[in-house]
Amino acid sequence: MSVLHRVRLPVGATVLVEVGHSVEPAEVLATRRPASGGMSVPIASRLRRSAADAADLLAVRPGTALEAGDRIADDGHGREVLAPQACLFLGYDLDDGSALVAPLGPTEPVLGHVRGEVTSVTPDAIEIRVAGALVTGVGGSGKAVHGELRMAVHEPGDELRAGGIDVSATGRILVGGSRASAEALTRARAMGVAGIVVGGVLDKELRDFEAAQRRRREVGGARGDLAIVIVEGFGKVGIGAELFAWFRSHEGRVASVFGETARVYVYEADAPPPRRVLARPGNRVLALRRPFAGIGGELLRVLDQPHATGAGVVSRSALVRFEDGRTAVIPLANLEATGDLSGG
Amino acid sequence: MSEVSTELALLVDVGSAWAKAGVIGRVRGRWRLVTHVAQPTAWGAAELRRGLIDRLVAAGDPRLANEWDALLDGATRIECHTARNPGRLAVVAVSREVSGSSARRAAEAAGWQVIEAVTLDDGRTLADRLARLQSAEVDAWLVAGGFDDARSPRALEAAALVASARLPESGPVIWAGSAQLGDDVAGLFEDGAVSTVANPRPDARREETGPLRDHLQAVLRAIVADEDERHLASVAFPRAIATMASDGGLRILGIDVGARGAVHALAEPDGTSAVRVYSTGGLAGAADVPGAAARVTRIAGDAGDEAAVADTLQTLRARPTTVPQLPEELSATQAAVRMLIAGMVEDGPPEAVDLVVGAGRTIAAAPHPGAAARMLLDGVRPIGVTQLAVDAGSVLGPLGSLPDEEIREGITLLADDLVVPRGTSVVCRGGSAGQLAMRVTVHRPGWPSHAPVEVRVGQLQVVPLAAGQEAELLIEPGPGITLGASRRSPRIQARATGGAVGIMLDGRGVPIALPRRGDDRRAVLAAWHDALSRDLDRVT
Repeated sequence: MSVLHRVRLPVGATVLVEVGHSVEPAEVLATRRPASGGMSVPIASRLRRSAADAADLLAVRPGTALEAGDRIADDGHGREVLAPQACLFLGYDLDDGSALVAPLGPTEPVLGHVRGEVTSVTPDAIEIRVAGALVTGVGGSGKAVHGELRMAVHEPGDELRAGGIDVSATGRILVGGSRASAEALTRARAMGVAGIVVGGVLDKELRDFEAAQRRRREVGGARGDLAIVIVEGFGKVGIGAELFAWFRSHEGRVASVFGETARVYVYEADAPPPRRVLARPGNRVLALRRPFAGIGGELLRVLDQPHATGAGVVSRSALVRFEDGRTAVIPLANLEATGDLSGG
Repeated sequence: MSEVSTELALLVDVGSAWAKAGVIGRVRGRWRLVTHVAQPTAWGAAELRRGLIDRLVAAGDPRLANEWDALLDGATRIECHTARNPGRLAVVAVSREVSGSSARRAAEAAGWQVIEAVTLDDGRTLADRLARLQSAEVDAWLVAGGFDDARSPRALEAAALVASARLPESGPVIWAGSAQLGDDVAGLFEDGAVSTVANPRPDARREETGPLRDHLQAVLRAIVADEDERHLASVAFPRAIATMASDGGLRILGIDVGARGAVHALAEPDGTSAVRVYSTGGLAGAADVPGAAARVTRIAGDAGDEAAVADTLQTLRARPTTVPQLPEELSATQAAVRMLIAGMVEDGPPEAVDLVVGAGRTIAAAPHPGAAARMLLDGVRPIGVTQLAVDAGSVLGPLGSLPDEEIREGITLLADDLVVPRGTSVVCRGGSAGQLAMRVTVHRPGWPSHAPVEVRVGQLQVVPLAAGQEAELLIEPGPGITLGASRRSPRIQARATGGAVGIMLDGRGVPIALPRRGDDRRAVLAAWHDALSRDLDRVT
């Protein structure tokens, strides 16, 4: 199977690939020269004109990228102002007759972080067909990373604990279970783990971790990124058993993880277990809300009449026998059918 | 084939998360809402229809049991839906607190989703600002800054930032800054790219966001022009509210809090209305409100600790079609709605509103009528005497999508089932804790008179008054207490209409003041909750 992945290009990027190219996750698809700060370049004084008059002599518009020596303005009589270095022309100050330019820093690569074939190139994006499967989560954090998939827990409901993360996880994408604590996330970052795929995370712990990452980055202490993708829900929520088994069956494969957009590509993988929003009797189901969030079971029957939840919300509901032995009435809206969907 | 036949219409409101459908038909010569269902939109149209037919078979005329499918086929279908692609906007302004704040609020109230906001005082480096704007995928750019009496170089710099970050021909630019800089800004972009609108901050003391909001609404409509505007819920719901207002000669505030977006529509008796559409103002957006978890925890009282509430708010974003199963999750959800509504009326509570209508699943399908009333009461804080009602059948959106010449007829025909009354609120402000807020005498024609009800500042009391009943209120505000309008008489006479909750006498002030100590706060919140939950058996 294959899926399309879109790499957004910043304005001014230079594309290095063409349609049909095969690309690797660490391959440079384009380059860009980010602006590194602002500086003023006197215009009016050098042209010996008033600030207002000099405005008419500008040779560039805001947004123009200039190389060192390119002309910013000239009076047509031999006087001209040249760019002192490669820069982006931002604007002209009519009060003091100077130009605001942003010097361009060294060239930076634009990586796709996926393996595949380029299918289209436009000024603002490159599309890549990825030979593999896509798992989309409900939330995440961190930028794009890639690495080898590694199971870090034995059961989908197990917590990913800090003690279970050691140096052998460096550069890997760990698949956790029902929760990764702030301590586990910190440990993973320290061990150089590339990414974590987990059923659930406490939002507060994730935000605390992000805040710590941000502080480290600001003081220059952060190296590399740890991407986290949450596939089921917030809180202590296990990965669905079928999805967990699917990840297990692909352990050792390379995967790309996009934290901010909550996407996981697993290369050379078959399709992940299907999910369906409207479950039928006989379906394997996964509960989406507390107190059963992340627990799988079998939908026994849909109740004839709407049923009130413990909170009092009345909705169409179904009787579910959960794999932990409990049986409960659950709103149909809080169930997803998973695995073999032929039942019902 | 049965010889029994009936006239039916199908009202459908397809939201981003939930689809609602109602069947209206002639019952004893009058159009009534016969049945209504709601389900996750993703379940599909066939399931929605099946749900309707199941209900009709169970509750409808038994002679039509085998006819409903065919009857629905022949029914007039009236539908509205949530915008499929909200417009994405980048806001670039000089200052975060002045031009940036005004521009952003106007944009959000016009229905835009603000993807990126950059101001020249946001603490970022110039390089960082440029990088963020260069990476932004937006449909339009809004630039603001500078007062009208000056040519602010900083405002021009903000425009230059956009010119540097935007690909030519990649979406319109709206200039909402210093009037003196309009031509300069237009000169930074290709011909026709820039439209200029009145500065929302013409000087340091004035804020006039209306023209900008209207202009942004027009630009948004042009961008989403592939969708029939009249059928957009954000257009249809306010149209229905405006028609109700002009029909009844009332001032009506309609509040629709959906899964993704929210609508605030204030309609005047002459049929004009002021509409704000918040594309991310729905429940999914609650998690992104600064300090949301702490605020919701504080105003809910019984939703668990802040960490649990934060998870619930994220769940509302990640799983918008699911419903709360635990009481604490419901409490957090309803408190989040109160917070979101309060954010929509941040310009101040509306005064002299005759009726507040709540819509959206969380409000309209609240398991307890008192909870629905509380979301409106605590969120809006309507000062004075106000009726509260909910769009329980989700009929306002579809009816509002009717053509101009039919909408009034639709609203009139379904008058009996248009909204479900929750009762009447009397909200006052002023005074200090414990003092008398108001003394209210409730007189029901044909009923014996009772002693006046004394409401103290900080108290909420409910007097039962069933739906369909009316009562005369004689309100004597305490010293320093106001019900909004200036008054010559020490007493105010008003009429109250009943509902599932009754008459809500609210001395909690505007905004509501909560005790600082956690135990005290929880006790106060529980007392208010009890007041709105009590006596329902007696009055419904």
